[in-house]
This record gives sequence, C-alpha cells and structure tokens, in this order.
Amino acid sequence: MAKDTSMAKDSIKVRMPALGGQGAVTAAHIAATAADTEGYYAVSNPFFGAEKRMAPSESYTRLGTVPIYDRGEVIYPDIVMIYHPQVITMGKSYTMPFYAGIKENGLVIINSDIELLTDKDRAFLDSKNVKVLTRDFTKFAIDMAGTELATNMAMLGALFGALGNFGKPAIEEGIKDRFLKKYVASGGTASLDSVIEKKFKKKRDLIEKNLQVASAAFDLTEKWAEEVGLHQMLKTI
Amino acid sequence: MSIKNMTKEKNWSGQKLVSTDYMLFEAPREKHFMTGSEVTKEAIKRCTVDASVSYPITPQSEAAHLIGELWAEGYVGMYFRGENEFGVMSEVAGCAMAGARTVTTTSGPGTLRAMENFPMWSGTRIPVQLILMARGINSPLTIQPDNLEVTFMLETGCMIWYAENVQELFDMTIAGFTVAEMPDVHVPIVTVVDGFFVSHTRESVMLPPDDIALMPYDPYKAPLPPIDSEMPPGRFLRDPFVMKSNYISYATHASWQWEVRSAVDRSIPYARHYLNGLAHVTGDLDAEIVFVACGTASHQAKEANRELTKLGIKSKVVKLRTIRPFPHAELLEATKSAKHIFVPEFNIVGWLEKEVTQSLYGKSEAKIIGRPRVAGGMSMPVEAILHEVLEHVNEEKGA
Amino acid sequence: MSVDIYKINPEFRDIMPKDILDLEDNATWGAEKRGISDLTDKKELLEEHSLCAGCPEAAALRYILTAIPKPEDTIIVNSTGCTSLMFPHIALHTVHSLFGNQNAVASGIKRALTWRFPDKDKDVVVLAGDGATVDIGLDYTLQSFFRQEKITTICFDNEVYANTGGQESGSTPKGQVFKMAPKGKVFDKVPMWELAVTSGCQYSVKLTASAPKAVARVVREAIFIARELGPTYIHLYTPCILEIGLSASEGLWEMKEQDKDRFVSFKYVSPEAEEFLKQCKKEGRL
Repeated sequence: MAKDTSMAKDSIKVRMPALGGQGAVTAAHIAATAADTEGYYAVSNPFFGAEKRMAPSESYTRLGTVPIYDRGEVIYPDIVMIYHPQVITMGKSYTMPFYAGIKENGLVIINSDIELLTDKDRAFLDSKNVKVLTRDFTKFAIDMAGTELATNMAMLGALFGALGNFGKPAIEEGIKDRFLKKYVASGGTASLDSVIEKKFKKKRDLIEKNLQVASAAFDLTEKWAEEVGLHQMLKTI
Repeated sequence: MSIKNMTKEKNWSGQKLVSTDYMLFEAPREKHFMTGSEVTKEAIKRCTVDASVSYPITPQSEAAHLIGELWAEGYVGMYFRGENEFGVMSEVAGCAMAGARTVTTTSGPGTLRAMENFPMWSGTRIPVQLILMARGINSPLTIQPDNLEVTFMLETGCMIWYAENVQELFDMTIAGFTVAEMPDVHVPIVTVVDGFFVSHTRESVMLPPDDIALMPYDPYKAPLPPIDSEMPPGRFLRDPFVMKSNYISYATHASWQWEVRSAVDRSIPYARHYLNGLAHVTGDLDAEIVFVACGTASHQAKEANRELTKLGIKSKVVKLRTIRPFPHAELLEATKSAKHIFVPEFNIVGWLEKEVTQSLYGKSEAKIIGRPRVAGGMSMPVEAILHEVLEHVNEEKGA
Repeated sequence: MSVDIYKINPEFRDIMPKDILDLEDNATWGAEKRGISDLTDKKELLEEHSLCAGCPEAAALRYILTAIPKPEDTIIVNSTGCTSLMFPHIALHTVHSLFGNQNAVASGIKRALTWRFPDKDKDVVVLAGDGATVDIGLDYTLQSFFRQEKITTICFDNEVYANTGGQESGSTPKGQVFKMAPKGKVFDKVPMWELAVTSGCQYSVKLTASAPKAVARVVREAIFIARELGPTYIHLYTPCILEIGLSASEGLWEMKEQDKDRFVSFKYVSPEAEEFLKQCKKEGRL
C-alpha cells in the first residue's frame, strides 16, 4: 500500500537521547552520511556535553530535501529515538519529558523490553498524532551480532525502515564511511571503537555484522510502518 | 621532514605550491562530509604552515590535536603542546616574530586567559591566525556554545572574521593567512566559529585536492623585520616608548595604535576579494524585515527567512563575514529597505547589536531589535525567531 | 647571518651618531675570541643605558654582551622591569612583548628558527628580572625547562620590584621590609637555581656580578650547552642599590659581601654538559 505523502516535510529533525557508550553519536553520524550519499541534505551533531559512559548523551540528525541551516540541539523534533530505558525511567535525558517539543504527526522509537509509556504520555502523544514503536533493539543486537554495542545499528536500521526514503545500500555506505575512514572521535568513542573492532577481528566482519543488525531492524520497522499506517515523514528527492 | 626539501614548485611535504586565487576559486572541488574540527585540519594542511602550538580546551581540542597530526604527517613544520593559553599565545607570537607562518586555536576561558597577548600580537604586527571556537565564559562553569568572548576581542587590533559553517571555516582559514600576510595589512587574524555548532557538526563541504598548498610565508616582506638575525633589527621592539616620557613618546604610541587599526582597514579590498564580500545578503532584497547576523545566528536566520516566506512574509538575511574591519558600507547598503532590523545573537550582552546600532546611527530609520538573544549554550530554534518577528510585527500593526 | 646586516648605508654615515658608527667600526662582531678584555678598548654591543648611576645590572649586562659567543646570530628576549630600560639599547635582535612571558616567547622563537634555519646556530638568550622569572613568569620559565627548550635564561636578581618602586618579590630574603611587605617578608627567598635543576636544566649557576670574568665564563658555557643539549639557567645577583640604600659606588662592595652569604656560589652541570664542556675546552671554544 502506498504511503500517505500529504504530511511529508522538506526537512525533519531527529533527537536521539541515549547513554554514553551506546553509540548514538556514531548512529547520528552514519544516518547523516547515509542520507548525504543518497543526495539528501544532512547534518549531524552531538550534544555539547562532556561525554561520560552511562551518563546522558544526546545526538541529533537533520535530514532534508532543502539546505539545512538549523544548528544545535533539536528542541522541536519530528522524531525522538530513545536508546535506553533509563532515558525514561531514570530521567537520563536533557529534555523532560523525553518527548518535549515533539511536532504533530511525529514518531517515537523506544529501545526497551517493556512498555514504558504511562497513560498520560500516551494520551499526549495520541493528541499530537505521534506514533510510538517500542522494541527491545538491544536483544536484537545481542542475538544477531553477539554484542550490545550494535544496538545503535539496530536503532539506525529502525529509523531508516520507518522513514522509507533511504535504502539499505545507503546505510552500508554510511557504516563503511564511519569504520573504514580515519575518523576523529573522542577518547571514549575511540576506545569503544577498538573494543568493537577486537570483537570482530576483521573490520569486514564488523561491517558485515553491523549491517545485518541494521538490515533486520530496517525490515522490522518497515513492516511496522505499513501495519500502523505511518505516513511519509520526509519528502523524497 | 625539513624545510630544505622545499623547492620553488613544491613545499617540504611535496604539495604543489599554488596561489590563493587558484586554491579558493579555480581548483576543482570534491564533496566531503566532515566536522568543523576535521575541516580545520584540511585547511591547515593546504596552507604550508610552519608552526603551531596547542592547548586542550573544549570545544577546540579536536582541531588542535588534528593540527598535531599534520605535524606528525609532515605537513606542519613545528608543533607542541604549551603549558596554558597565556603561554601558548606567547609561544606562537615567538614563532611568528621569528618569521614562521603560525596558527593556533582556542576557546572561551582560554581566550580570556590569553587576553594580554592579543593586543601585543597586533602591536607587533604578526600575521598569526587564531581559530577561535567560541564557547561560554565562566562562572559558572560552562562548555556550551555562546560567543560572549568575541566582545572581549573586538578592540585588540586583530582582524576578526566570522565563519558561518564548516565550508566557510575552510575557505576563511585559507584566505585568513593570505590577507593577514599582505605587507600593507600584516596584523593577526582571528577566525571565529561558534563552538560545537560548527566544530562538532558534520555536514557536507567542498574541498580542493590535498596535493596543493599555499605559497610559503615570506617574512621579509613584513612591515617589521622578523626576529631572525637575518635582517637589520627593527627599531620598534627595541624602543618601548614608555621609557622615554615625553611628547614624542606619547605621539608615537598613539600613532602606532592608530596605524594598527588602519592596517586592519587596509585589509578591506583583499577581504572583499577572497571572501566574496564582507557581507552576504540572501532573501527578498526589498524586504522590510532584515536579519543582521554572523556565524550560526545567520544560519538560524536563514531558516527563519524560509519559514517566513511560507507564511507570506518577506525578509532577508545580512550575514556579516567580517567584524573587524566592520563592514559599515555593506551594512548600510543592505539595510536600505529595512524597517525592522533583528539581530539574533548567542550571547547575553548583544555585542553585535551594539556594533550594528553604532554603525547605523544617524543613517537609518529602521528600528534595531536585539532579539532573539540566547546565551549560556542554548540553541536558537527557528521557532524562537519566528515568535519574535511575528510578535513585533503584530505589535507594530496594533494587533 | 653576519655583521653585514648591522652595517650602515654609506650614504647615511655622515649623519650617524658616533655611537652607531662605533658599532660598525669598533665592535667585536664575528670575532673568534670575544671577552671581558674587549671592554677596555672595543665598542660593546650597547649604545647607552638609562639605569641608575652605578647600577650593577648595567655592568652585568655589559659583561654578558662581551661574552656572547656569536652576537650576530643571537636573539635577546626581555621582560618588563628595570631590564626593560636596557634592551632598547642592545644592538642585537631583541624582543620585549609582555611581563612574564619571556621564556614562552623565547621557546617559540628558538623553535621557529631551528625549523627555518636547520643548518645554522641561532642562540636565544632570555634576560629578565627576578619578578619576571620567579613570580609572574615562573610557570613559563619552568615549563620551558621541562620541555628542554634550547635557550639560556639569565635572571638579574635584584631581590625587589625596583622599576615599580620597591615592592617585595619572591626573590626578596625573608624578613626584609619592602613595600607590600610592610611587616617584613614572611617566606624564604625562592631558590630558583635549585628549581632550575629539578626542572631539567642542563646547567644552573648562581653567582653575583662581582667578578666580570666569572660572569663571562658562565654565560659562554651556558650558551654553548643550550645550543647543543638543552636549557641553561644563570641566577645573577645585581643588587638594587637604590632600594637598599647604597650609593652609586657601593654596588660592587654589596655583591662581594653576598658572595659569602646569600649568593655563595652554586653550580650544577649535568653529566652530559660536563662531557660537552670538556670537549669545548679541548677544541679551544672556552
């Protein structure tokens, strides 16, 4: 069934609250790179804090069919992606509640093994026509790649599956760009890079496994989007 | 790696030497996707830089350690980590006095710690380039993007340019050395970007190939001879006028300070050429609503301009690329149609609003509104700008 | 480079003051053996000075300038204070930028010159007072030692901020009453010559300027070692006769007194520097 395109925008903003070490900055970076390779305008940036492991960490991606001038934190997001249940349960978030500022017809993706929304949350999000998908993407990562460090790849796949603008080859390009190029990362990110690289022995294995996780999550949300009748959020070029 | 490897055609790292015009306007460009920190490395890599000294402070640390990598890779002649920003700014002063093309980077508290050095730089007429990745100033402790520190830099006698995004940071860094080193200019250049908004934001950028680089700096064209014992010593550094208290000493000091500022003004034709103008106007040229901004604020204003267009409201954005020299003529011309001039800013004091107000005093009927203004690291969502504009315009209409 | 850069344009000779003409005709540029004995009949590399009559610092500066091994390739970095009354008159490349940053500026100059002139020896010598060295510039001084910068640092210790009117400095002896220490200084004189050793200097000497030849020898050794091995430090007592109430003729007497007291000779030479000095003596450079 063809998607409803009546609400598609020329640019959308994605906020990704996560915990330090989960790779939300990397995911935002790959998402933007992937979109860029498909010819969309894209910008990514982290939250401007001192990154500490397991502490709140947030990153942002902006995607568009027009040049994107907007910079900084995403205060009015179209999409919010919750990388860890503690973002909600322990308030490890820079914005409270986690959906503060969300736009009409938006989307929330939550990585959790249990339902976290209260009735009040749900009522509010319904009133804004915001669709919510809750799944245990960490389990997804462990089952398929053997490491929770691939959670961000699952989230990335989930985002692109729901959007429908970008194919899997774009994700592959983004992942390759991130892991094959010499890349500047903070100390913490660099050490996690080396952990994950050791885990997979070869960079090719790493990319392959990450891609598998992203691809499976992509399929899952693509199907979900169709089931719940999610409209097209971003215009196509 | 040795400077002895440099020939007329190639620098010490084997890059082909080209003119700034070729580098900026003629060389073929390819698309890359990178952050402001990464693009700083790419710019410095293409500038045949002799020396750099660094010190860690968020958010410029990545750029600073990437310049270090360029040294390790053989592109930058000399590099080390200094003890703190006061020391670093004196160390780079020493490098530049000794005839080296020199670059360094800093942010917020580092800028203020080093402050005594900046008027010394301009007074010494060294063409050092400082890439300033603005952040908030303590107290309380903050590392967030806020450009209050620029107001402290305004009267140091240094040129101040303000890059809007990753692309402009790249192009300005290259143009910066070129203009600062012009014999009739020869003052320091401070290339400002908003920290995080540019330093840590990843976006697409067009870069020329990296096997070409700028011609080396020729210190013997400087208005003051380099301190290298290869030229007769310059009198200026040897004659501190304060030691001879008489009318000539006062007049000499005053005229020197005047000369430093005149040198900044003499950069105007060069800056116009290499930056494609000191100001850049987008939007409806006859709009009564005009945003005057620099850096990220001009980006946010452009986003607002697009949203206002959707609402059927005309507006335009005047982006200032240079703050020192201040583009008085360009600003006046670009605001002729204005009835409402909004100056959105990322600091508490509104230094740009003050500059704009002073520049247009007695020359423009437009109302100058220093809003929206965010500080402390806050982002400036387009919604906030629209709110200010609509509220103001409706108020004017008596609605 | 060479003395050529200090030569006067022949067209201007007729209007040049005698002092400047003497610099070309009668100074010891490029001389194989320069030294204290030149003081009697050669033009020192100093045009004049505007310090107090009888100031030991002025005498010490003259000793230092006669001892510099290669003046035509020597850069002097100064700081603020009484020393800033002297540097305008030194006929070499000299720099004054700020108060306390002298070792940072010197580090930058030395490194840039090493990069630009890989085959030439260019000596960088810091001349600064005790306030500049021990107080406001302590960080930059010690950090340049830590980094093993190949520069020579000479501190003119007059144990007081003299240029600003006689305030206590870190170098003032304990108990001394000065301005800003109206009840007497409460802590000991900072042992800068020892800090220099701990901080990595290859050579650290404390002495007074009472014996010109001793000063000259130490300066020469320090510059040679800095050129080859790393940082060297000279702590030189040049009393402020004004602030301690002595007459113009009593400076030498005061320095001789202190040779036996606070400035009893201290000399540290690293084992590598020791070897190197032996080598220099063998080659006749010292």
